[in-house]
Amino acid sequence: MQLFHDVANQIKCQPLIDWKALNRPVVGYTCSQVPAEIFHAAGILPIRMRGIETDGMDIGDAYYGPFICSFPKCLLQLVGKGAYKFIDGAVITPGCDAMRRLDECWRKAGEDYDGIIPGFFYYFDVPHKAEGHGMEWFVEEIEYLIAEIEDYFKVTITDENLRAAILEYNKGRRLLSEIESMRTSETPVVSGSDMFAATIAGTVMPRAQYNEELTQWMASLSQSPPMENVRKRIMLIGSITDDPDLIRLIETDTDAMVVAENLCFGVRSEGRPVDEDADPISALAEHYLGESTCPRMYGRYKQRLAVLKEKIEQSHVDGVIMQNIRFCDLHGAENALFEKDLEAEGIPCLRLEREYGPMIDKGRLKLRINAFLERLGRGRKYASSN
Amino acid sequence: MRAAIKEYNYDWLMGSTLSAAAKFPAGTAKEIAWAYRYIPYFKGIVKNFVDAGPPGIYFMDLLAGYYQNILDAHAQGKKIAATTFCSSPVIFYAMDIVPLTFEVLTAIGAMVWKRGMFDYMDYCCEVGMPETACSSQRGALGAYLADMGENIDIVLCDTPGVCDTNANAFVFAAEYLDKPFFQLNYPSTLGDSRSQAYHVKDFQAMIRFLEEQTGKKIDYDRLAENLKEVEAQDAITADLEDMLMMVPTPIPPIYTLMIYAGRFCFAGHPGYTRLLELLRDEAQKRMAAGVPALKAGAENLRVLMCYIDHYTVDINFYNYLEERGIANAGSILTRNFRDYNPYCQALEGSCYGVDLSSPEAMLDTVAQMNARLPMVRSIRGPYDQHGMWLDECLALARLYSVDCIIYNGTPGCRNTWGMVKPFARDIEKQGIPVHIMNDDAFDDRVESWEATRERLDEFFTVRGLL
Ligand code: SF4
Ligand code: SF4
Repeated sequence: MQLFHDVANQIKCQPLIDWKALNRPVVGYTCSQVPAEIFHAAGILPIRMRGIETDGMDIGDAYYGPFICSFPKCLLQLVGKGAYKFIDGAVITPGCDAMRRLDECWRKAGEDYDGIIPGFFYYFDVPHKAEGHGMEWFVEEIEYLIAEIEDYFKVTITDENLRAAILEYNKGRRLLSEIESMRTSETPVVSGSDMFAATIAGTVMPRAQYNEELTQWMASLSQSPPMENVRKRIMLIGSITDDPDLIRLIETDTDAMVVAENLCFGVRSEGRPVDEDADPISALAEHYLGESTCPRMYGRYKQRLAVLKEKIEQSHVDGVIMQNIRFCDLHGAENALFEKDLEAEGIPCLRLEREYGPMIDKGRLKLRINAFLERLGRGRKYASSN
Repeated sequence: MRAAIKEYNYDWLMGSTLSAAAKFPAGTAKEIAWAYRYIPYFKGIVKNFVDAGPPGIYFMDLLAGYYQNILDAHAQGKKIAATTFCSSPVIFYAMDIVPLTFEVLTAIGAMVWKRGMFDYMDYCCEVGMPETACSSQRGALGAYLADMGENIDIVLCDTPGVCDTNANAFVFAAEYLDKPFFQLNYPSTLGDSRSQAYHVKDFQAMIRFLEEQTGKKIDYDRLAENLKEVEAQDAITADLEDMLMMVPTPIPPIYTLMIYAGRFCFAGHPGYTRLLELLRDEAQKRMAAGVPALKAGAENLRVLMCYIDHYTVDINFYNYLEERGIANAGSILTRNFRDYNPYCQALEGSCYGVDLSSPEAMLDTVAQMNARLPMVRSIRGPYDQHGMWLDECLALARLYSVDCIIYNGTPGCRNTWGMVKPFARDIEKQGIPVHIMNDDAFDDRVESWEATRERLDEFFTVRGLL
């Protein structure tokens, strides 16, 4: 477990250092709609890019405008400072407008800062719809991406490699699901921050090593006693979060625990396996686009609401904390709709706006979270078991 | 929302205001002077359009008709589709659907009302939309969320291209009002066969959706009529574009607004053809008589608005340009990207042609035309990709002989604020001065018009342009 926290809290973590020491390539990607299995199948380590450990915003602000989410700005800041010089490739996706503009901002910063643009720099054009022609487009995008990887890294990605990668990734997904059920159970044995650190680590660590760690962790969890003082069961949703500290803020010095989340670094995208029997590219496309529960998939609000309600029910959630990074309208607007619909069903909700980064507004957030938890104390829907 | 504001049906209020304003010039000079005394809060805007002559007066009448169509829709058995300015109304008119374009309605409200659209914008936030959402939808949308306007039946938007906040506003509207929703989706590339095919499939899916919603099949004869009208409109627009290229131009700044606002509301409709004819005829008359287009007389400077114009109270921005003797070569909204326009030679693959030979050809035409509407054309992909925003601005700057380029938008536009700084630097590298305005085109509370004007003056002075 400690390894997961170490990985979650540092960009240049030990598993990465070990991987690079063997001269093996690493590719960074910016959105959970990029099928990591493709890189794994090519012997490349795919890592989800994070903005942690940022200690300034001079570079982020120099290229991005002022009305932009601080997450991609932090990424750019780190890129400009050379924190990602170890990657051999980068894949940019049009997750949201701020994210897709990382393409230009990164390339332009590359004109001013030496060596920050990796040799493989790719724009992966993910559509906003998964029906018919949207899915066809995405399948083709995956095929183009594979061809480019093969060409640049001089590798061959066969259906067989892809199937093996899917199996390896699914192994981790199944382990995570099992651990997740130990967290969502009425007597949880794993905290929200531990679970979140584990899912973040899964976006960075070599998969085999990750699966091994998960297996060991699961074995130790099955011997663990239930967590104490879990009286308020919280779900956390909203804008991008890759910092277990946000979860810790809810869980520390309170009787609350984050028993579920719907965050793109969380179990949201890691929880379900990819179809192992279908054509591998179609299966990946179906998983990464077809099953996406990200608000960038416009017109699917009702499905996402249904997913939330199901999780709330399954995890016995007492209240939902919805956060959005300032200028993240995707989550800001959707949180408002969720709040309206969930409150109407008697599920207490708290909406928070925050900045991404090293918890600069911790005091304010803590105050509001604690006030919300007090409100929950007065009329929880689910009785707590301990 | 203040109770007083809720007392009137929004569509009726706006439509009546404009139709009353359009009747002004029918009076004698004395009657008009007296009438102005009775409308101190509207005098500025009415006078601006009345002073613009026949096109200005006709423009107000045309817009009043836009609201009237909305008001009459349900009684006539038509559906109302809330849609974006980057979605051509041609198809709606061919399907007997009444379009209702939030951005245009917000701009009109912002120009006409002394308090702008503030109350309506704030109402959207009251019901949950983020305050960082784009003001161009937040304005008019507020009225419909507050149930002050006609009932919207269908919601239709574009993704991406226009920014996320735009699409989000439509998603929010659809869910909040519980209405059927469709998005037109744009890949990041344009002009290649793969994205062309995607547009057509997407457009066909939209038509199927609209047919389901209305219970009516698309009428291809009607579509052909509308597209013939588009042909005529494109031809006149090309004449106007030619005149915009002349130095000095006979086209006053406010004409560019009328060119695109008319297109967003009435493309394919004879009313818009009439407006364009009036604009062209007036400009030609002015040219023949040697009358300058600008109130200042001389044309001291030529600007290209690389994004949108500024629309708040009394269209102060256009007056400012007139007073300083600045010709407006238009904005991203003015161009129509018809294949015979001169800028299309420089932007290969970026333009559309019209083919009426079969239903399939017509659908293809509308799909390709739609894919070339302002934002979904120029900022759908990386700005420095072939034919995108940078190429377009540089090509236009050359063709229209502009002295500088000005960016103006809204803080809600993540898409452009995400890269406008490097974009501006790239243009500056070509020797063209660029000014980034920090205001909100629809909301003077973000930056007062006075401050915006000061900054413009400062830019022109510091860069030695005026
Ligand atoms: S929230 Fe959606 S768009 Fe943003 S990074 Fe996650 S999956 Fe991608
Ligand atoms: S938090 Fe929102 S605005 Fe920020 S990168 Fe993610 S989706 Fe984009």
